[in-house]
Amino acid sequence: MKKIIILTTTLFVFFTSCKKATESKETDLIAGETALKTVSNCEAAIIGAYASMVPDMDILLNSTFSDEVRTGEFYNAQTTHEWQYSPTDVTIRDQLTAINPLYRIVDRANRVLAALPVAVEESAADAAKKSRLRGEALFLRAYALFDAYRFYGAKYTAATLAMPYPEAPTLQPLARINADAYFSKLYSDINTAKPLLPAALTDRNRAHLVSANGLLARVALYKEDWATAEAEASAFLNALPISNMATYPNVWTDATTGEVAFQVVRTPSVGARLGSIYRATSPNATQLGTVTWQPSSKLWNAYSANDIRFAAFLKDEALLSGASPARPSRIVKKYAGGTYGTATENVANVKLLRASEMLLIRAEARAELNNFTGANGADADINMLRTNRITGYTNMTFASKADAITQILEERFKELVFEGHRFWDLKRKGLGVSRLAADIVNANSQNLSAGNFRFALPIPQPEMNANPNIQQNPGYN
Amino acid sequence: MTKKMYTTCKLLGLGIKQASLVIAMLIFTLVAHAQNRTVSGKVTDGKGVGLAGASIEVNGTTTKTNTDGSFSVSVPQNAKNMLVSFVGFKSQTVNIGNRNAVSVSLEESSKEEEAVVVTGYTREKKGKFSGANTVVSGKLIETVPVGSFDQVLQGRSPGIVVNSGTGQPGASANVTIRGISSIQGAGAQPLYILDGIPIPAGDFQTLNPNDFESVTVLRDADAAALYGARGGLGVIVITSKRGKSGAPTFTYRTQYGFTQPPTPNRFDMMNTSEALAYEEKLGTMGAAILGPGWIYSKLNPTYASQTPTVQARRDFLLDSFRNNNADYYDMLFRQGVSQSHDLNMQGGNERSRYYTSIGVFDQQGIDLNSRLRRYTGRFNLEQTTGKLSIDFKNTMGYSITNQNEGDWLGNSARNPFQIVWRAKPYENPLDANGNPVFGPSTSAAPKVIGNTIEGIRNSYWQERQMKLNSGLTLTYKLNDQITLRNTSGVDFVNEFGLRSINANSYIGSLQTNNNGYHSENARLRTNLINTSSVAYAKKFGTKHDFGAAAYFEVVKGYNRGLGFFVTNLDRRLTLTGQGAGTIPTGGATAVPQNGSSAKSEYGIVSTFGSLRYTFNDKYTIRGTVRRDGTSRIVNEENKFINTWSAGFVWDALKEKFLEKQNFFTDLKVRVSYGQTPNIGSITTGGYGISGGIYGVTNYLGPQLPTFGTTTGFAGSSITGLVPTTPGNPDLKIEYIEKQNYAIDMEFWKRRARVTVDYYRNMTKDLFVNQPLAGNSGFGGTNLPINAGKMSNRGVELKVDVDVVKTKDWLVTLGVNHSINKNKIEDLGLVNEYIVGTSIIRKGLPYGSHYTIKYLGANPADGRPTWAKQDGSSTLNRAEAFQFADFGTWMADNVGSFSIDASYKRFNVRTLFTYQTGAERYNNVESWTTRGIAGYANAVNQNKKMLTEQWQKPGDVKYYQSPLYDRDFSSADIMNANFMRFRNINLSYTIPQVAVGKTKIFSSTRFYVQGQNLMIWSPWRGLDPEDSNNISLNEFPNPRAIVFGIDVNF
Repeated sequence: MKKIIILTTTLFVFFTSCKKATESKETDLIAGETALKTVSNCEAAIIGAYASMVPDMDILLNSTFSDEVRTGEFYNAQTTHEWQYSPTDVTIRDQLTAINPLYRIVDRANRVLAALPVAVEESAADAAKKSRLRGEALFLRAYALFDAYRFYGAKYTAATLAMPYPEAPTLQPLARINADAYFSKLYSDINTAKPLLPAALTDRNRAHLVSANGLLARVALYKEDWATAEAEASAFLNALPISNMATYPNVWTDATTGEVAFQVVRTPSVGARLGSIYRATSPNATQLGTVTWQPSSKLWNAYSANDIRFAAFLKDEALLSGASPARPSRIVKKYAGGTYGTATENVANVKLLRASEMLLIRAEARAELNNFTGANGADADINMLRTNRITGYTNMTFASKADAITQILEERFKELVFEGHRFWDLKRKGLGVSRLAADIVNANSQNLSAGNFRFALPIPQPEMNANPNIQQNPGYN
Repeated sequence: MTKKMYTTCKLLGLGIKQASLVIAMLIFTLVAHAQNRTVSGKVTDGKGVGLAGASIEVNGTTTKTNTDGSFSVSVPQNAKNMLVSFVGFKSQTVNIGNRNAVSVSLEESSKEEEAVVVTGYTREKKGKFSGANTVVSGKLIETVPVGSFDQVLQGRSPGIVVNSGTGQPGASANVTIRGISSIQGAGAQPLYILDGIPIPAGDFQTLNPNDFESVTVLRDADAAALYGARGGLGVIVITSKRGKSGAPTFTYRTQYGFTQPPTPNRFDMMNTSEALAYEEKLGTMGAAILGPGWIYSKLNPTYASQTPTVQARRDFLLDSFRNNNADYYDMLFRQGVSQSHDLNMQGGNERSRYYTSIGVFDQQGIDLNSRLRRYTGRFNLEQTTGKLSIDFKNTMGYSITNQNEGDWLGNSARNPFQIVWRAKPYENPLDANGNPVFGPSTSAAPKVIGNTIEGIRNSYWQERQMKLNSGLTLTYKLNDQITLRNTSGVDFVNEFGLRSINANSYIGSLQTNNNGYHSENARLRTNLINTSSVAYAKKFGTKHDFGAAAYFEVVKGYNRGLGFFVTNLDRRLTLTGQGAGTIPTGGATAVPQNGSSAKSEYGIVSTFGSLRYTFNDKYTIRGTVRRDGTSRIVNEENKFINTWSAGFVWDALKEKFLEKQNFFTDLKVRVSYGQTPNIGSITTGGYGISGGIYGVTNYLGPQLPTFGTTTGFAGSSITGLVPTTPGNPDLKIEYIEKQNYAIDMEFWKRRARVTVDYYRNMTKDLFVNQPLAGNSGFGGTNLPINAGKMSNRGVELKVDVDVVKTKDWLVTLGVNHSINKNKIEDLGLVNEYIVGTSIIRKGLPYGSHYTIKYLGANPADGRPTWAKQDGSSTLNRAEAFQFADFGTWMADNVGSFSIDASYKRFNVRTLFTYQTGAERYNNVESWTTRGIAGYANAVNQNKKMLTEQWQKPGDVKYYQSPLYDRDFSSADIMNANFMRFRNINLSYTIPQVAVGKTKIFSSTRFYVQGQNLMIWSPWRGLDPEDSNNISLNEFPNPRAIVFGIDVNF
């Protein structure tokens, strides 16, 4: 009998020790903390964050909402091109819902930031890599959140609504915060990232110090923090000056990176074809794809005869004008890629941060600081740019701050066209969109008044449903 | 007693003196009580066999009978009655008067009168059990020629929907107790317990139902209270047979019979001449028909311009098609053989009892490659040594399941259940030698049946399963009040799956690398349970019966699986990966792995206590409090959940005011309330295993962020790593608040037995899909969160009436009917979301169809018309509104009725089952009445398309012109109500065969049994019964007819 009692007790004790039964782990799953266990895993996750960048949306929006383009052979974007959009707009839903991909970058970056402190170092180089990855994560977070602000925020004032700023992965719906707090977080992220990022421009596909300078210059420009904009743009330009006349056209054929500090590489199989925003790919070398957007006459006529940018960006395609019946022949060439009908047609890298933009930022900052002329004046920067873009250019001087600002904006229009700036430039300068009569479909599509609420996109309705804390932009309720 | 005496005195108007006298008399009586006498005798069953271990209760003292049923009890002098009881028999109160020798013959209780409810942990007296439960006797389960016992439960208990999704031998049904109570866990099955050990649901092909004594369905919170978070969806408790003491007895059972396909004409497909004429008609209307009826037609505009030779060739081809009218139903299906043999032996003495059995079951399905073979053994031993008793229950089984590989593939042109309606009747599937005509198939020269048959002959899908279920319970009675118990059990399933396609065949040539395909998977699943308890029971005085118990329990589950597949097989060999050649890399530097493995585990730890108090046998209160914790929840704060339940029983006939009535023989009111969480509803993921026959459950995946790779960034040679699902780190266990109100009645001298249950269940913290905010990084996707509520309420009725009960005749009518109304009460932030072709919408029941409403053909041009949101008709597909008013696929009324009759040695039992209120998508209907070129070229069309399709302006027809598609729409939702002649069993019993005085057989029973004999249903298709919302390639439940013999010796 005693034996049996001992046996029972033993069994009891044995199974009681199974208390750990509530602690069973999922040992075979690459998920949760396991997924980002090592520094290499974190690096792969940073690559995953880069993969969510959607510069095509910036480009599409700034072209079609502004005066850069006019309609082509196929037009189904009435609501956006003619500024009729609501939170349920289908074109925005299908092509311009930036909030999801941008916050995907933020989430991916935040996961890396959370994992890095405990990430296992597998080689001697990993300690250095850790700090670089932290820098990249912060850079990417700032890059994405600044872009989110540009989509959904109005012209900067300290009190205007920016967007939610998640600094750690969260599934909780967050509210939008004010722009001053938002921008100081952007500054802080970029400034923290700078010393962590590599200084040498060896890999222009990933963030480095120069791209951080460039991003901060751009952020400061939107904040109208002219001193910072000038300083950061100078830092950028000191490291990477603008491309000269000879190199410049090659930048747009991707033969060289030239003045580009940060780019998104596109191949026939990876990423969207940038050129397809304006013109569909062609069935063969002589039959061109549908021209969806043509350059506006305003743009077409803006360049002087000696301006090398015209030939780099635009083309009057004989295959189109000569077609029977004739087709619209003015096309965007900036991202034309390889020959019509080939695998590389419309394949072009996205130039995210380049020296010419920095020169224009610095010029604008200097002008706004009333240094519109002189040795370190705005006109010096503009002259330098034009000298490298216009054959036989002779230097000029700005007569006034206002003159400088107007001309700088015009120069931005010509230099940075199709790069995702125009609509937002008009917004931040408090200007309206005004298209030429020759460029419009109907009266609705001619002007968008300065300060119109539609300069900030509506928060999409699905997001309004999913996030009870988010505030809709004024005018869309 | 004192009070009673006082009252008596008062009534008699006695004074103090007289009262003293009474007291003196009382004392005398008490003294007399103390003087005992001995009563001895024997307790036997109806056949005179002694019953060992029967209880003899006299004035609160219980004695057990000896091995041969004899007893000798010391009873007080004045004892008048003794209560004799034994499990499985009706208890009897015997007036012993002054007798010293009493013989009692107990009558076997029928299923409805089972006095004891087996909860798996305890055996409760029915009169003191407040839970909703139904006991299904093993007698109704054994001998039914179905490979998986759960299918037999259809119609046997109220409150349980048992729907079989396939007629594959050995496949399990989908079982729902009291409605779907989870959205995420909608397919989750009840907890199955075999002799106290949890067994995986949906996996019963290796268990021998002939070993089952009973199956108890526990439906409410009180009945399943001891299962806590494991039993939220109800519990099905299986108890295996126990030995009866006495000399060894043997039972041999055998049966032989057939499985047959259901009648094929329910599809009503076109025959050859109709199909050719239809193709011609559609062709003339301008549809792009590619079949011979049009391309070789004289009406085809290309015909006239052909040379006479070509025209003659076309005429010849069309003619040869016209002469084909193959009965391919018979080529694809068969009459299968079903047979079984069982031998069991049982016996024992007062200290030990055993039951042991071996069984063989072999059933061929109607599908040519479907078969289940099962070999099982069982050994149950109960041993009592003083205060310790041991209960050791074991079963071991091995089964081989063969399935048609085409059926396994599902929606495939190799699936005979698709080809049976899809193939064109003018195909010529077999050549003169009976070999299939196979090869690339086109509409003009179809070879789909030939390819299916060639596939059946050259493919193989087999699963071998080994199962061990073993449990040891040690019970130590410390004293009369306290009992210690420990149960340790293991359920172990080892599976081995094989899928192979012959390299040397046409289908083999279609596989990757063109030389067959071979995969093998293995999986090991283990469930362990250990329960320790201490129970206390005591009767205080005659009125206060008290019981309490405390339990500690650990459950663990382990899974492990592996698999591989190989291609480019050796053409000289079959069913093996040996000799497989190398595989080309296609120029790639890396090729994916074709082998993988995974493992997972989980645990549940429970601590619980129960209390029962019965007052005067009249009122019983029961309560349970528990704490369950599980590894299946990641969030530490939500790992543990505390719940409680309570129940109350009122035995009305024990009330004084009802003493005099003689209408009721039983009248009880039961009420229960409780909260039951359900671990089984927690969303799980799966590890994919190469070869794809088995997966391994991944318990925590949905709660953790999972990652995938991306090559979407060309700027780096490093492959990107990205979170693919956010994981819900805040997941809690859903729980269901369950209320149950019931009345149990017996009247007409127990000949009428009625139980009515009303229940209201409310699932709280229901997992619902909530859209995620953009800032999560998962904008546009959903996360299941605990934010909803869902209710199920219903009524269950069970009636059994012995309409005729004479010496020779017993006719019993039985009815089971259950009504369940399901409703989604709350979805948190959202009001609805779409899941496939259904909608989850607040206010609607789960499983509501959600689709466009098709209204018919527009008479002018035959274009399809649909309803707009306001109900008006539109020709514009974009304006067609999706409605949600087409009902749900979950039947709201299910039930059965049975007629059991016996006359002397003849017995007939019948069962009819039915369901109403079920609407299902008939995808077959969608394909066979689509009426457009795309479908008409690939799928034979329904006969009604000849008359009910629009052909010319002015036609008022339902089906649209062949030039327009009406899309997958409400036209394909069909009523799936049915009534099924589920089972009949006719038997004749010979009581004893003796030669002279030598007994050869104690009894022999001959029977013939039919399963699924007939079905009545508005559904068009082989079988309306299914386990899901849509029908496309279903293996119908076969008809089975078997002859059997049971011999006892």
